[in-house]
Amino acid sequence: MSAHVSSLRAVLSARQVRFGLVLTLAVVGFALFGPLFAPHAPTDLVGITYGRPTAGAPLGYDYIGHDVWSRVLAGGVSVVWMSLASAAIALAAGTALGLLAAFARRRVDQAIVWFTDVFMAFPDLILVLLIVSMLGRDHWIIVLTVAVAFAPGVVRLSRGIALGVVNQEFVEAAEMMGYPRSRILFREILPSILTPLLVHLGIMLTWAVGMLSGLAFLGYGVAPPAADWGLMINENRAGLLIQPAAVFGPVLLIALFALGTNLLAEGVGRVTSRIEERRS
Amino acid sequence: MSSVPLHAGAPSPASTGPLAALKALRGRMPAWLPWFVGRLLSGIGVVLVISFIVFGATQALPSDPARIILGPEAPEHTVDTLRRQLGLDRPLALQYVDWAQQVLSGNLGRSIDSNVPVGELMAGRFANSLTLTLAVAAVAFPLALVLGIFMALRRDSLADRAVLSSVVLFKAVPGFVIGICLVMIFSTSVFSILPAASLLDPSLPAWRQPQYLVLPTATLALSVATYLLRLVRASMIEAMDSEYVTAARLRGVPERRIIWRHAVPNALIPAIQGVAMTFRVLFGGAVLAEVIFSYPGIGNTLNAAIEMRDLPLIQGIVLVITVGVVVINLAADLITVLLTPRLRTATRIRARSPGLRNAASLWRTGKSWRVSV
Amino acid sequence: MRAGLAAGGGLVLGGLLPGCSDGGKAPDGAAVLTDTPRRGGTVRFGVIEGGQAGNLDAHKPVGSGAFRGWALYAKLWEWGLDARPKLALAEETEVNADATEWTIRLHKGLEFHHGKTITADDVIFSLLRLTDPQLASPYAGYLYSLLRNDVKKLDERTVRIPFEKGAGLVALAECWMSWGGIVPTDYDPVSNVVGAGPYKLKSFTPGQRSVFTRFDNYFKAGQPYFDQVEILDFSDQTGRLQALQARQIDIAPNLPFEQLAFLQADPRFEVVASETDVWHSFDMNLEKAPFDDPRVRKAFRLIADRDELVARVLQGQGRVANDLYSPSDPAFNHDIPQRRQDLAEATRLLKEAGHGNGLDVELVTAGGAGANAALVFAQQAKKAGVNVTVTKVDGSIFTGPKRNDWTFSTGGSVSRPFLLTVQQHDGPRAVGNKTHFKDPRFAELITQALGQPDLDKRRALIGEAQRIQHESGGMLIWGYSNVLDAVSKDIGGVTPDRTGFAGWRTDRIWRRSLTT
Repeated sequence: MSAHVSSLRAVLSARQVRFGLVLTLAVVGFALFGPLFAPHAPTDLVGITYGRPTAGAPLGYDYIGHDVWSRVLAGGVSVVWMSLASAAIALAAGTALGLLAAFARRRVDQAIVWFTDVFMAFPDLILVLLIVSMLGRDHWIIVLTVAVAFAPGVVRLSRGIALGVVNQEFVEAAEMMGYPRSRILFREILPSILTPLLVHLGIMLTWAVGMLSGLAFLGYGVAPPAADWGLMINENRAGLLIQPAAVFGPVLLIALFALGTNLLAEGVGRVTSRIEERRS
Repeated sequence: MSSVPLHAGAPSPASTGPLAALKALRGRMPAWLPWFVGRLLSGIGVVLVISFIVFGATQALPSDPARIILGPEAPEHTVDTLRRQLGLDRPLALQYVDWAQQVLSGNLGRSIDSNVPVGELMAGRFANSLTLTLAVAAVAFPLALVLGIFMALRRDSLADRAVLSSVVLFKAVPGFVIGICLVMIFSTSVFSILPAASLLDPSLPAWRQPQYLVLPTATLALSVATYLLRLVRASMIEAMDSEYVTAARLRGVPERRIIWRHAVPNALIPAIQGVAMTFRVLFGGAVLAEVIFSYPGIGNTLNAAIEMRDLPLIQGIVLVITVGVVVINLAADLITVLLTPRLRTATRIRARSPGLRNAASLWRTGKSWRVSV
Repeated sequence: MRAGLAAGGGLVLGGLLPGCSDGGKAPDGAAVLTDTPRRGGTVRFGVIEGGQAGNLDAHKPVGSGAFRGWALYAKLWEWGLDARPKLALAEETEVNADATEWTIRLHKGLEFHHGKTITADDVIFSLLRLTDPQLASPYAGYLYSLLRNDVKKLDERTVRIPFEKGAGLVALAECWMSWGGIVPTDYDPVSNVVGAGPYKLKSFTPGQRSVFTRFDNYFKAGQPYFDQVEILDFSDQTGRLQALQARQIDIAPNLPFEQLAFLQADPRFEVVASETDVWHSFDMNLEKAPFDDPRVRKAFRLIADRDELVARVLQGQGRVANDLYSPSDPAFNHDIPQRRQDLAEATRLLKEAGHGNGLDVELVTAGGAGANAALVFAQQAKKAGVNVTVTKVDGSIFTGPKRNDWTFSTGGSVSRPFLLTVQQHDGPRAVGNKTHFKDPRFAELITQALGQPDLDKRRALIGEAQRIQHESGGMLIWGYSNVLDAVSKDIGGVTPDRTGFAGWRTDRIWRRSLTT
C-alpha cells in the first residue's frame, strides 16, 4: 500500500506530470464550467457574418453571426466527454478482452488475437469513416466507433503485459495454493498492469481528441447547430483570413487539451518506468 | 494522422497448428520458416475475413447508390433501371461471389460514379499516395534517425531536452491543424511561395511535380517524425545501456566503433516496426492532409467515394489498403526476425516476442516496459 | 502582371476593367491588356460538385459532368442570358397549336468535333438516346409524352417530333437547352466522346481534371477563344479558395456566400454577381402533421423574416421571394402580393390550429446555404412559440430514397423556367414532390399550360396555378440568390447572367492579358 502512495507522490512530483495535469484540468474545467459563463446561447444570432472582435464579443462572430466566445465556452463539453468516453470504453473493453486472452490461452487467445489482427488492418480513420457513414453521427455512435478503433491496441497491450505477469512465480504460487482465479486477477494482476494501462489511456485521449476533431473537420463529426470545437474549425475555415479568431480559438483549446493529456500520460509513463528500473 | 495504432504485429500463436505439421521438415529448413508460413496463412485468413467485412460494410451503407448518382430529378423507374444494371437488386451472397471472382481475376469492377474501371482510377491515385508516402519517408526517416541517435548520445543535454519538449507539441497537436497553419504561413497569408492546393497534372507522374508535394509532405513528416524520433532515441539509449556495450567498453573497443557497429544496428531493430507503423498510418491516415491540400490521393478519393456511395470504388480501395497493411505487417515481422539473432535461430518463437512488444511501447511512450519474464 | 492589374481598380461587378484601352500595354510591358475578346491562352476552372466525379455522357450530365457538358456539347437551343431558350444549332423551329408536333430545322454546314456534318439522323439519335430507358438518364422523365417511335426525318436537316395527343409539350426548348446535347450516331460516352461544343476533349481524369482544346469549326463564328480549357475538380471549398488566391485557377464558379467578403477585399479578382432565379425554400410535407393543416403552413410562411434570411444566409446577395419560383419566366404572376413576416397573425393561426402551447418540429437539412437558412429560421420561429430542431444529415441520406419523406426540410433548386420547375417539384408527375402537394385544379392548369404554345393564354393558366401554390402550397420559398463567380481580372467575358451560368459559358470567356 505504502509503495503505491510513494510512487503516486513520485509521479506527482515530476514537473512534466504536474504541468500536464494542470493543463488538462484547466481545459476540462473550461469546458465543463464554460457554458455557465457564456453571454449568449451558442445558437443565438447576435452579430454579422465574420464580424470582427468587439468589446462585447472578444472573439468576434462566426460564419453566420453567432458569438464565437459563447460558442468556444459551450463547445468544449462534447469534445471532453466524447474523447474521455471513447478512450475509457476502449480501455475497459480492450483490457477485458486482453486479460481473457491471457488467461484463457489457446483457442480463445488465438481467436481474440486474430480478430485484433483483422481490425488493425483497417487504418483507424477509414474504419471510423465507414462506420459513421453506415450508422449515422449520433454522439454515442461516434464515441463507440472511435472506441472500436482503439480497442485492438489495448487488447494487445493488456494481453502482452498480463502474459508476462501470469508467468511470474507469485501467480503460479497463488494458483498452486488454490486461490480463486478472480482473486488472483484482482489482487495480483490488475495492480501490476494498471500503470501501463493508465498511461495508454492518456495517450488514447490525445488520439481521441485528434480523431474526433479530424472527423468534425471532414464533416462526419458532431453536426450543427451544436457548438463543438472541432466543428467550429470546419465551419469557420472559409473565414480564416478575415476572422481568424473563430478558428484559432477552438484550435488552441484542442491543441492545449491534446498537449496536456499527452504530457500527463508520458510523464507518468516515464516516472513509473524509472521507479521500476530502480526497483529491479 | 496523429493517432498511431498500437500493433505489436508479432508472430501469432495461430502458427502452432501448421508449425506442428511442419515439424518433420524442421531439420532441413531455416528455423524461422515454419513460423513464417503460419503467419502467412493467418494473414491470408485475415484478408479473406476483411473481404467479407468490406463487402458487407459497403452494402450496409444507408441510401442507394443509384439514386445518389442520378440525383433527385430522376424518376423512380429510371433509378430502378440503373439499380438493375448495376446488379444491386440481386441477393447479397450472389453479389459477393461475383465480386470475389472478379477481384481474383484482377478486375475490381467499374466506378458507378464516373464509369471508369476502378483499377484504372485507383492506379493513378495510389501512385500519387505512394509518392507522397515515400516523400514523407525520405524526409522523416533520416531526420528521425540522425536526430534520434544524436539525442541519445547527448542524453539529457540542453539540446536533447529542447528538442524533446518541442516535438511533444507536434506529437500532440492534430495533424490537420499543422496543415492549416502551414498553408497560412507558406501559401496564403504570410508568404506565397508554395501552392496551397496540390493540383497534380495527371499526365505527369507525381514525383515530377515536386512543388505540389512540399506542403503535404511537411505536414505528414512533422507528425510522423516525432514518433520515430523518440522511438530511435529510446531504443538507442537502451542499446547504449546494454550489457554488450558495457562489455565492449571494458574490452577497450573504441567508442565510435561501439556506437556504429554495435549500438546503432541493435537500436534499429525496434525502428523497423516503427517504420511499418508509419507506413500504415500514412496509408490510411493521410486522408485529412489530402483533403486540406486537395491532393489527388487515395484518401481524398475514398472520402468522395463514401459520400457518393460508389460501392465498387470503396470496396476496391479499402481492400487494397487492408491487404497492403497485412503485407507490411508481415514484412516487418519477417525482417525483425531475420535481423534478431536470438529469434532467427530459435527453434520455437515465443508467441509474442518481447522485442516487438517493446518496440510498440517505445513507439507510444518513448520508454520501454520492463516486464520481467 | 499583378501590378498592372491592380492598377486597374477595385471591385468591378460585371463590367470590363476600366481604364484599360484596347491593346494597352501594362506598365511592366510583359502583358498586353485588351477589352475585345482575343484568342489564345489557357484557362483553369475550379469546380465543386460535392464528391461526385461525374462522367462525360451528354445525356447523363451528373456531378461536374454538367460543367464539362458546356464545353463539349452544343444543343438545338441554348440558354440565353435572360434564362430563356435561344436558337443554337437549330435554324428554325415550329410547334403546332396543341404542342403535339414540333418541326425543327438545323443550320447548314454544322460540324462535329471529328469532322462529320450534323444531320437530322444525329438529332434523332440524340433524342432517342436521351430518352432510352436503358440509358437511365435522370432527365428523360421531362419528355414524358414523347412518341419515341414516331420521330421522323423530313429531310437531311429537318426533323418532326411528335407528342401524345392531349399531352403536348410546349417546354421542349427549355428541356433541350438543359440536357439535349447533340451527338453523332457513332457516339460513345467513353470511347468516342464527340459533340459540337466549343471545345474538344483532350483528357479526362475523373474527380481530378479534364482538359479540352479549341474546336475550330464551332458554329459561332470567331468563338471560342482559348487554346485550352482545364476543368479542375475540388472537393473542399476552402481548398478551392486557396487555389484561387495562389493563382492556380482563374475562375471559381458558384462561390459560397461566406467567401464573398474575403474575395471582395482582394484586388486581383472580381466577383461577378448574377441575379438569378435560384431559389431557397423550406418544404413542408402536406401528408404529415402538423403541416396537413393549411393554417400551420400559412403560419410558418408568416413566421419567416425573409429580409433577415436574405441578409444573413445570402449575405445580401439575393432578393426576397413570395413562396413562388421562376420569377424570370414570362408567364410569372407578379400581381400576387408579397408575404411579409407577421408574428401576431402566425401565433393566432397556430393557436387556432391547436398549437397554442407551442409546437415542436424537426427541420432536416444537408449543409451549405440550406443548413444556414435552417439555423436562422429556427431562431425566428422561437418568437412564435415554435421550437425548430435543426438536424443535419449527410447529402447522400438527404437526397437518398427517403428524400420525399421528410416532414420539414430545406429545399430549393437552380434557375429554370416555370414549366420545368413545376414538373420537378409540385406538378402532376413531379418526381421530387417533397411537399406532396396534390391539387386537382392545379394539376389541370399545369397540364393545360404544358400544351399551350400561346404565351398570353399560358400566362392566364400559370397565373391561376401560382395563386393556388401561394395560397395552399407546401413550400416556404423565402429567397432568390445571386450566383457569385470569382474571376481573375486576367479573364474577360464573364458577365451577369440570369441563368447563373456566367462562369460556365466557356465559349464566351477569353484571356485579357497574354504574356508576350
